Amino acid sequence: MRILIVEDELRIAKRIERMTRAIFGNGLQSLKHSNTLDEALRFIENNALDLVLLDLNLNGDNGFDLLTTAVSESFHTIVISAYKDQAITAFEHGVLDFVPKPFNQDRLAQAFDRVNAKEKMENDAIKFLAIKKRGRIQLVPVEDVIYIKGAGAYTELFLADGNKELHDKSLEKLEQLLSYAFERIHKSFLVKMSEIKDISIASGSKYMAELKNGALIPIGRTKYKDLKAKWI
Amino acid sequence: MEYETVFQIGDRPEWAAKDLDDRAWERRIALVPDGQVFWSRTKIDILKAPEALKPYGLRLEVYAEYEVFWDGVLIGKNGNPGKEADLPPEGELWTTFSIPTHLTDEGEHIMAMRLSNYYFPDHIGIYDLKIANYKALLTDRLIQNAYMHVFGGAFLIASIYFLFLFLGNKKEYPMLIFSISCFLFFSLTMTHFVRTTVPIHYSLHVIRLEVITGLMFGISFLIPLYFSMQFPYPKWKLFLGIYAGVLLYVFISKHHYFDFTVLKMVIGLWVFSFGIAVYGIFKKAKGALLVLLTLLLCIPIRYSVSFNVSLFTGFSLILLNMLYLLSLRIKEQRLAYENSLVQSTRLRLELLKKNIQPHFLMNTLTSLIDWIEETPKKGVMFIEALAKEFDLLNQIEDQTLIPITQEIELCRTHLEIMAYRKEVNYSWEEEGIDPGQKIPPGILHTLLENGITHSLPLEDNRITFKLIFESNTSYKCYTFLTFAAAVRQKAITKKEGTGLKYIKARLTESYHSKWDFTSEPVDHGWKNTITLYS
Repeated sequence: MRILIVEDELRIAKRIERMTRAIFGNGLQSLKHSNTLDEALRFIENNALDLVLLDLNLNGDNGFDLLTTAVSESFHTIVISAYKDQAITAFEHGVLDFVPKPFNQDRLAQAFDRVNAKEKMENDAIKFLAIKKRGRIQLVPVEDVIYIKGAGAYTELFLADGNKELHDKSLEKLEQLLSYAFERIHKSFLVKMSEIKDISIASGSKYMAELKNGALIPIGRTKYKDLKAKWI
Repeated sequence: MEYETVFQIGDRPEWAAKDLDDRAWERRIALVPDGQVFWSRTKIDILKAPEALKPYGLRLEVYAEYEVFWDGVLIGKNGNPGKEADLPPEGELWTTFSIPTHLTDEGEHIMAMRLSNYYFPDHIGIYDLKIANYKALLTDRLIQNAYMHVFGGAFLIASIYFLFLFLGNKKEYPMLIFSISCFLFFSLTMTHFVRTTVPIHYSLHVIRLEVITGLMFGISFLIPLYFSMQFPYPKWKLFLGIYAGVLLYVFISKHHYFDFTVLKMVIGLWVFSFGIAVYGIFKKAKGALLVLLTLLLCIPIRYSVSFNVSLFTGFSLILLNMLYLLSLRIKEQRLAYENSLVQSTRLRLELLKKNIQPHFLMNTLTSLIDWIEETPKKGVMFIEALAKEFDLLNQIEDQTLIPITQEIELCRTHLEIMAYRKEVNYSWEEEGIDPGQKIPPGILHTLLENGITHSLPLEDNRITFKLIFESNTSYKCYTFLTFAAAVRQKAITKKEGTGLKYIKARLTESYHSKWDFTSEPVDHGWKNTITLYS
């Protein structure tokens, strides 16, 4: 696990660091602390990360820009903030968890459990997926996304208007964020349940899901039973 | 059919007779010097004989002492014609005589007068003559006077009321001007209608005219002055000065043509006020349109009634307008005052909020928990520092100015807390502080918070804050310096944070506009200056 802590209160940063080390133990590959926005952004650009722990109010800055940048990246983001009223915004933008200050080790451990997907999260608040397009961050409404296809480390978002957008997060990570409405019906596909029109068996006993827009998505053998049960 | 009055210098009793050939008499005499006796004869047609026991009366306005004959019969005497040089002035300028009923049959009659004009020998003639029911002649002016006194009284009350309002707030010059204008208008009314209540000998009448013209001069200056203050335009003092010059010229140049002077001044007043109102409308000033409409309304009024009536109607309309403008301003002031109360409450809340807003409170508590868990002794000291800051805030929260020493203590305590949170060596320095000075609460504290938030420690993990006080007779100046490495420059300047708004609002609350505040990055970190002008 490679983790970055973005926090301008040194005492609190040390606390997070200490607890993180205690929780992950040997599972921790790297742990970096940054107390300014610029330094954090530089580090994100140049290093591979699995998780960012983010304070939204750095040096008097409104953390919204930082938040959208963070959630568009490949890693998961957990916000640790003094402002509980930011929780809804944070979840809407697809953070994995929101830890309000003051916090203790148990709460932090609970948040980390989500990273390891030990705990299935039920985030039905997510409204946007942040994507990077031409050097800028764009917010794609989740309701416009029909299905998502894994493409290596990246994913492709297939939208209701027929467009396709790239997202930096892996299919596994998006599945964690979108599990309330999307189902992993294939190792490479995450599909919005409400978009499935029919399930059919094609030649060679292949299972296919037909979507409302006419697209045919293969269904993994191991997933078929589960899906059939859920869909009916 | 109209008859003309004819005149003849000389003194012959038979000139009073009804049937006298006066065709050779003069129609106009410019001058009768030395109080010589002269006669006048006026033919009068009675169109309808009076009812029984309701005699006709005769009202005259003549600059002279005289005897009046009606069809050869002496019906009245006003002073001592011909003996004015020897006897003291007697009689009145306006007189009313009753005409015996038997002399007022339908038909042609003759009013002959034996006069002398010692004091104004160039004012020869009958200025006003009215024949009507005697009783009506005596009462109609009294009734008119009663109304005009009530009318004038209203303006007197307004004048006194606004004078008191002005005395209560001596900065409100429009109120004073309005008060004076009302008083002048009241005086004008009283002077104009004084003739019914106070007997005036014709030699003294010029005093009344002087007073009226003088009052008009005052009013003609004050009304545009008032409008200039309500709808200020560029260089209004200069324009008003020029206007005053013109007015003074009109007032002096043909001074003894009183009616002419009054008319010219009124025209000047109208034109200038009209200009100001137009500019006011151009500038979208509240009430300017109403002023313009009122001024325009004065034109038809002028041409539909007599000059005097239009004068009183027009002025009262304009004064009502001024009153309306005043009420608008009073309303504005009331709103501003209410606003300032709300603002004070808001500032107080903002000060209180400083230490319970989540960023401060939750970060502090998180750090505090950490200190207690890790180093309980330090944790206790942290709590003590926190308690001290809360205590200080409690002491100052309801004040608008606090001793500078208290504010500095607040800052030092805050630094103590922040040192536990940020683990930075904060140090505080001061120079030239005068313990007797006062300052709005929380403004240095706000600058300090900003300094902490927007700065990174220098290489020795140190951030230094320095407060410098300088003063001389014209200003006091606080310079607040941060010695640190700046986090970033661009983000701070992008918009005014709530902190700076709080500082500015507090300065305005206590010093109105007599302050200056600057906040800028410098080589060593940040520099703020607060200048208070005396």
